[in-house]
Amino acid sequence: MRMSRLAGVVATVGAAALLLAGCSSSSGGGAGTSASPSDQVLRVAMTEPGADLEKVWQQVKSEYEAAHPGWTVQYNFQNDDIYSTVGLPSLLSGGNAPDIYFEWSGNRLQTRAADGYAASIGDQLQAKGVIDKYVDGAFGGTTVDGKTVMFPIGKDVSNVIWYNTDIFTKLGLTAPTTWAELDAVNAKLKAAGITPYAMGNKDLWPAGNWNGHLLSRIVGEQAYADALNMKSPLDSPEWVAAMDQMKKIHDSSWINDSVNSVSDNEGYTLFFTGKAAMTPIGSWLVDVRNEQSPKFNMDWFNLPAVDGGKGNQQSVLGVSTGLVVNAKSTKTDQAVDFLSTVAGDDIQKAFVKAGSSSLSKAGAATGLNPLSERLLKLIENAPEIVAPPDTGYNLKVADALNTATSAVLGGAMSSQDALTQAQQKIDALK
Amino acid sequence: MKPNRGWTPYLFVLPAFVVFTISILIPVVATFGLSFTRWDGSGPLKFKGFANYVRAFHDSVYVSSYWHVLIYVVATIILEVAAGLLLAGAVSARPGTTFYRVAFFIPVMLPLVVIAVLWSFVLNPDFGLLNAGLDAIGLSSWKRVWLGDPNTALLAISVISGWIFAGFYMAIFYAGFARIPKDIIESARLDGAGEWTIFRRMKVPLVRGITEIAILLCITGGVQVFDLVFVLTNGGPYNTTEVPTTYLVKTVFRDQEVGYGAALAVILTVVIALIGLLYSRLRRKTADVEF
Repeated sequence: MRMSRLAGVVATVGAAALLLAGCSSSSGGGAGTSASPSDQVLRVAMTEPGADLEKVWQQVKSEYEAAHPGWTVQYNFQNDDIYSTVGLPSLLSGGNAPDIYFEWSGNRLQTRAADGYAASIGDQLQAKGVIDKYVDGAFGGTTVDGKTVMFPIGKDVSNVIWYNTDIFTKLGLTAPTTWAELDAVNAKLKAAGITPYAMGNKDLWPAGNWNGHLLSRIVGEQAYADALNMKSPLDSPEWVAAMDQMKKIHDSSWINDSVNSVSDNEGYTLFFTGKAAMTPIGSWLVDVRNEQSPKFNMDWFNLPAVDGGKGNQQSVLGVSTGLVVNAKSTKTDQAVDFLSTVAGDDIQKAFVKAGSSSLSKAGAATGLNPLSERLLKLIENAPEIVAPPDTGYNLKVADALNTATSAVLGGAMSSQDALTQAQQKIDALK
Repeated sequence: MKPNRGWTPYLFVLPAFVVFTISILIPVVATFGLSFTRWDGSGPLKFKGFANYVRAFHDSVYVSSYWHVLIYVVATIILEVAAGLLLAGAVSARPGTTFYRVAFFIPVMLPLVVIAVLWSFVLNPDFGLLNAGLDAIGLSSWKRVWLGDPNTALLAISVISGWIFAGFYMAIFYAGFARIPKDIIESARLDGAGEWTIFRRMKVPLVRGITEIAILLCITGGVQVFDLVFVLTNGGPYNTTEVPTTYLVKTVFRDQEVGYGAALAVILTVVIALIGLLYSRLRRKTADVEF
């Protein structure tokens, strides 16, 4: 009747463990080590790209196979959530591990490199002229210990503040450039009977990203990174004062009461239906808007500068994504050839036409949706890119901070209490 | 009939044993083994001794998850077992209650995830049915962010659980009441006992054994509650509805701490087993005359 019976939980975790362990050899090596040298299949694992982009990936396959007679490209597309959790680890440990796989920069990429699943490919990409095809900064976030271990696919801006342009126009508001101006906008919206922000923070990361960026702006990027890397406490007076900005948002009723009980998608719905004037979320809102409410008029502004903040006030919260060559694969050369095919001008243009962004010079010149194009320029020209808590750092630490953010934003705790509790959770991890 | 060969019986048992070994035994042994390691699911295993167990007992979220599940279990004993008992009493008091029996049992037949999604719409603070209904009858001050308020979230989950499983326990108790010989009930009626008295003084005591089993099912099932909590609150807000299973799943699949998650699973299993054993022992000690 419920999840399982007595042994169910153990069996489930055990089954998951077995799934993760897959058919790995006793040495712990991946498929690359166990694959027959005569195996001329290049295995590529990634998240589901969507129908339009999948056609481009099939074009990549066709071009690669035409240029490498006898070789076959085999894709394994998985649901995002499954891939990012149990999917990729099970593939890497399994009997036919991918030779190339999709990954996010930051803590995840570092973990893959530390586990021996990320080959250094910088020299080979340079020799093939791939790096020169890309815009400056495209390879930022793709290195671990000074070695390039990821081929960049895209850069996502994880948080900007989207606003309803109709409401702003009606009230004569303009996009603020400082935090004080933003406070003034919030006050005017509230006075007009409009809730300033809508957000669905049930899963913690939406407000976690937003506040993570704000905290980095206030305490400085290094202090932010040090705290999330467990090198310094995050319950210091400086952090408490920074967290008070979230408390102010709650105390002023500037955000929907339901913030911590609804999902991110429900938060988007509140924004699209005019229940609030702004929503702080990432670049993917363009795609969501196009799908759910294509006539909705919106624009965005980056997190406004905070007076007296120690961080770079033009920083951007973002994350790089890309393809990694499995260091345990015996087909590293072929894998780099595949990446070279992906970097081809015609392929990159096809990606842009299919709705994706491109970091190559040819792709960037093709033209995107104006909102997306500006977002891409924002992150490309960013003087400082800040990693979101949950992709750049230890997940337990990120969860502790994001829980504190939700507690303050929901009015359940003071900034001091929430951060003290978060620090206690982090201390338990040491 | 005596088998021709001594090993013939084992041959018949073999298929079931193979299935049991693959689906239960190996995962359980693997989980126990993994609980002494640190493993992210893909990298090398590192032996950590009892470190994961020590960490679990200092993990405030995990420890508090047992308090949450205790509150949930107590609430569901009332909202599921007691409510089921009352429903069974009501539908067995007179003939012609088939419609009600079916109606009360329908939630049990629906997938839990579907029910949880439906209730999340009902309880949605912005456009949900409950808050809209309170508005409509002039009780706007009663409106709440039901699943986002630490004071109401766990209670809301318990009430939904009761709405689902009261029908299940009703069916069990109804079957129990049906076993009671009709002449006993009729005699009581002839002596002037009302339906409430018959229910309280006769039916309930006569299904005591069934009640004990129902409570055991409710406790062991409650400790393993997952689906409802996962869909409705995912352990939030601020971990105030976190239960051992949701935390375990987050640890293994989100945080990719398979070794630590295995230790949490082993502890949970031991707790459930101990509850079962303790309850069985108490039952034996207090066992009285049963009908």
